[in-house]
Amino acid sequence: MELIKDDKFDSYNSPNSVGIVKTRYHTFAFPPDELALSSGKKLGPITIAYETYGVLNKNKSNAILVFHALSGDAHAAGYNTRNDKKPGWWDIMIGPQKPFNTEKYFVICANVIGGCKGSTGPSSINPLTGKSYGLSFPALSIKDMIVPQKILLDHLGIEKLLCIAGGSMGGMQVLQWLVTYPEASKGAMIIATAAVHSAQEIAFNSIGRYAIVSDPNWQNGNYYKESVKKPDIGLSIARMIGHITYLSEEAMHQKFGRNIINNKQRFTDALPDELKKTSEKKDLNRYKNNGTTDFTKEFEVESYLQYQGEIFIKRFDANSYLYITKAIDDFDITKGYENLADALKNVRAKCLVMSFTSDWLYPKEQSLKIVKALKINGIDTTYTNLEASYGHDSFLINDGRIKRIFTGFLKALEE
Amino acid sequence: MLKSFEIIGNWVEEESKILVLGCGNGELLKELQIRKKAKGSGIDIDEKKVFEAISNGLSVIQGDINDELSDYPKKFFNYVIAHDVIQIMNKPDLIIKQIVELGDKVIISFPNFAYFMIRFSILFSGRMPKTEIIPYEWYDTPNIHLFTIKDFREFCRKEHLNILDEYYTGFSKRAIPKLLRPNFLAEFAYFLISGGM
Repeated sequence: MELIKDDKFDSYNSPNSVGIVKTRYHTFAFPPDELALSSGKKLGPITIAYETYGVLNKNKSNAILVFHALSGDAHAAGYNTRNDKKPGWWDIMIGPQKPFNTEKYFVICANVIGGCKGSTGPSSINPLTGKSYGLSFPALSIKDMIVPQKILLDHLGIEKLLCIAGGSMGGMQVLQWLVTYPEASKGAMIIATAAVHSAQEIAFNSIGRYAIVSDPNWQNGNYYKESVKKPDIGLSIARMIGHITYLSEEAMHQKFGRNIINNKQRFTDALPDELKKTSEKKDLNRYKNNGTTDFTKEFEVESYLQYQGEIFIKRFDANSYLYITKAIDDFDITKGYENLADALKNVRAKCLVMSFTSDWLYPKEQSLKIVKALKINGIDTTYTNLEASYGHDSFLINDGRIKRIFTGFLKALEE
Repeated sequence: MLKSFEIIGNWVEEESKILVLGCGNGELLKELQIRKKAKGSGIDIDEKKVFEAISNGLSVIQGDINDELSDYPKKFFNYVIAHDVIQIMNKPDLIIKQIVELGDKVIISFPNFAYFMIRFSILFSGRMPKTEIIPYEWYDTPNIHLFTIKDFREFCRKEHLNILDEYYTGFSKRAIPKLLRPNFLAEFAYFLISGGM
């Protein structure tokens, strides 16, 4: 995840970094014991990519499972190689003396299935056909994402977690976990999320999906052959739209205002050379020099979004984007229950619910609904609508207050 | 001379489930958690104070007391504590009626507006009284519903609430015996009450 704020990261040899970490893999659900998904379809074998940080204690009581958001992966902290420019997506929170203190806790993060960073997804090879799944990959739900992670925990021998935590889609996984495995965690951090995905949230995701499927290179999801072009433009537009929704008006204004790129460096200049070459040819820029009108003037925010789109296509699969956003849009934890309080009636974990004042994508009203339902069930609940200016992505920002809240919450869970 | 949390703490049985209204940074919650092993939660509207409380590992909900009370199950708490907050509520009567439903027992504390210093102040200066515990100007005071011990007793009688115990402090926070005309001598009052039968 790339942020609007230029956070300083701990380098791999810093005492506050978990250092160099290796992504590991667990494969299960071999035929004929495939995993039955919510849709009724079966999937197997399933590989799940995961990383762990810290050491599991003797009574296995110090484990924390962290769930990633839409574009995240198993690489939550530290560096995979010494040459990595950036650490894992929640490195600000996970490490020695950080809130998820790896000197005390054993932190686990797994890539969701449907993803494209090591866990089985549409870009993986279907063992039956020898080809990538593409659109033959079965539809997924948020529940389908957490079940494999529970299987991973069983594999690691962890019966009860100290805490589960996640923001955005990660928060949906937390809610789903509380409903599906109410006894399997002592605490839960439910951050910047919703129990039922709203029309506005679906609307933005749907534009992203339309952008992808309208890209002629998408080819009904069959673009995995090496010589074939990928739906890069569609995916980068999807990312650009998404990125706007993760930020706030205030943050954008502060960072870019109405600045125009003149002799200043373009964000796209920071791209690696091979990507820069392709990006210059992109149809996206075609309108700029059409000979009649001067569209060459470019706002800084425009260039920034393009940069976000460009780096995203390097690391993300368009079909994964379709499957995952669809699972998010389908998310309605009340499905099959009378209401939200009924859905959460078996929850036993101590819960921390957090929203951010500038998050207009997942506004505080959605968190308050969760808080209300937890209270009705008499669950030990903490809630704050934190004053934060970076919009939905605020939970990924290096904010001392969020760190202190997490630290305090986890410490209270140990008592 | 007892401190507020000691007076309240003396009424709270060990390992009780408590709810503190307007808990601020959670001082009282923390004390009761440590001294009485209370399982506590709190409500406060101030984001910065809630931040302090939850960074301290306390279970606090950032919200408006007027909105937050309706969700809890009836008689969910052993004690609901409204320390020095009832007089700042828009509808103190509704809040009191709600909290006697939520808790087996309720602790309400408030500044007594019939305190003799206040009476003298208004009598001789002809201006809105200011004291150490109500130091505000008339135009920016949070205390929009000040009342007296007599008023509160009358309210309890009318609403069929049982007064189980009471405690008064006067000049320099010294205890005032119940029989010594607390409505005149007490600056601050503590009541332990329960809902009527």
